[in-house]
Amino acid sequence: MKKMIKTMLATAVATASLVPMTASAEVEKVGLAVANLQANFFNQIKQSVEAYGEEKGIEIITVDARGDSATQVSQVQDLLTQNIDALIYIPAGAAAATVPARLARAEGVPIINIDRNPAGAPGDTFITTDSVSSAYQVCKHIIEQAGGEGQMLMIHGQKGTTPEIERSEGCNNAIAEYDKVEVVEEQWSNMWSQDEGFQITQNLLQAHPDVSIIFAQADGLALGAAQAIKVSDMPQRIYVGGFDGDTAALEAIRDGVFDVTATQQTQLMGRLAVDSAIKLVNGEDVDAENRLDATLTTKENVEAFIAEHP
Amino acid sequence: MSQVSESGVVSTTPTNHLRNRIVSLFSGHGATGPLIGLIALCIFLSFATDSFFTLRNFLNILDQITVLGIMAVGMTFVIMIGGIDLAVGSVLALAMMVMGYLTNYAGIPLPASILISLVVAGMCGLASGVMITRFNVPAFIATLAMMSIARGLANMITDGQQIVGFPAWFNLSAIIRHGGFLTITVAIMLVVFLVAFLYQRYRAGGRSLYAIGGNAEVARLAGINVKKATIWVYVTASTLAGLAGVVMAARLDSVQPSSGFAYELDTIAAVVIGGTSLTGGSGGIGGTIIGVLIIGVLRNGLNLLGVSPFMQQVIIGLVIVLAVAAEALKKKQA
Repeated sequence: MKKMIKTMLATAVATASLVPMTASAEVEKVGLAVANLQANFFNQIKQSVEAYGEEKGIEIITVDARGDSATQVSQVQDLLTQNIDALIYIPAGAAAATVPARLARAEGVPIINIDRNPAGAPGDTFITTDSVSSAYQVCKHIIEQAGGEGQMLMIHGQKGTTPEIERSEGCNNAIAEYDKVEVVEEQWSNMWSQDEGFQITQNLLQAHPDVSIIFAQADGLALGAAQAIKVSDMPQRIYVGGFDGDTAALEAIRDGVFDVTATQQTQLMGRLAVDSAIKLVNGEDVDAENRLDATLTTKENVEAFIAEHP
Repeated sequence: MSQVSESGVVSTTPTNHLRNRIVSLFSGHGATGPLIGLIALCIFLSFATDSFFTLRNFLNILDQITVLGIMAVGMTFVIMIGGIDLAVGSVLALAMMVMGYLTNYAGIPLPASILISLVVAGMCGLASGVMITRFNVPAFIATLAMMSIARGLANMITDGQQIVGFPAWFNLSAIIRHGGFLTITVAIMLVVFLVAFLYQRYRAGGRSLYAIGGNAEVARLAGINVKKATIWVYVTASTLAGLAGVVMAARLDSVQPSSGFAYELDTIAAVVIGGTSLTGGSGGIGGTIIGVLIIGVLRNGLNLLGVSPFMQQVIIGLVIVLAVAAEALKKKQA
């Protein structure tokens, strides 16, 4: 009996001392697994997460998979070894995205997905841009600029990734509204990068010299396309649309290098991811999906975004 | 000089003889430097982080080096004979795509698909080997061409798409730790290590690789069939790259044609850190295993230390330079 009272007392003391701790459930460490820091879009998110984490007194541990899914699995293992409280996860590539998510889930670590959400193992919350409607706006804008008609090229991102699928869908919705716009060729890139955009466009302009509209699914690709047009010395005006709102691309739009992009709210995405991590650790509800708007950005409104990225 | 004869006398007693055998087993061929480096690295990380010196983390590291480890064995043989194989990353991708396609689209049972994919990988090595020995194409160029061809073929199989989802046992072979520590994929790597080590150490064929790397013409005059041996080395390296692809597919439960991009460079780095010289004729599997472990421990440790991704690239580059410089310095002194 005496022993029982003792145990009860001990339990009571233990729970009493535990309660205030769990109530304020401190988030100390958050892992950030990035797909590829060479892409400015991901780098902006990383900077936002790190800055906001510091503000909140949370240690952010960042790893960069450099676009390789096998590397990312190893890196997420290493993050979990360090007892992270939550995982902010941008899958590298389209396949294999489920494995790191399963690893984290097995450890009971909440997952916040940004930009890409693995179909087999979705995150506790998914933060992304409404790519379909934003891509629709970008394509509509360049088609209108070109007079609602002409030959068009589409330069895709990495095949099969969420943004590639959604941006294609959005742009195709716009194209479907114009009978006189003909997509003469489409090609896919691997890294969404500027040199790929340059090469692809240079080759396609050789094959289709009458093109007047180009949609490149990322600003890197669009910058490459613009450079290829410049080098090829085409007689006609070619309208180029990009996507993302990369720092360099915004300046390029100001300088008239290419025409339009959709600026994603990378700073907000980063902050939202950290806030979601805190909520999930505290057992609060979060939305399964957060679709943010990307703002159509042209020479007219670009200055504000250069001054402060949303 | 007197020291040499002294140790020669002492080693006649059986216990010392055994000790010398053990010492020589662990010293590998010029791998003592890398081994000391590896141990120092482990001691440092054990004190610098809470989570490094744990069973769980060691098992993670073993798991993380399987692909690199299997590929590095083949690359060691290639570099030992003074060659180079730039195609292994692409061959890895081709083998995994062949395996995935045959299993999920052609309805061939997975074990058979794995065997066929290994044969396809081996054929790539055969092609490289024939280009090098029969048509006198430099190894660098022949395998550079194969790198491009294999990557293209890998992409053509599914038009660049990934294939996801295989029978459950396949993914589980990379996850379930038998006896609490050994996954099948890690076991495969250990078997490859052991077989390669014994072959290189105790078989005439293995010893002749050093002779070829030292001086191919002298090796030929000594009665070694250099052309045949060279072709076999490239076939082995390619087949092992294919095996690495199968292991990676098991780990990721999916295949994609962009896999293994630039892995040939990681593999060469592991072999070189392990003390095998790019000029051929020296080094060995023992050193390569240590080299692979150094890269694995370093990547894992830098993640655990929370070192920024960009800084990690700088550090790994510095380690490669240090390892090679230390080895060169040692040779000069000796």
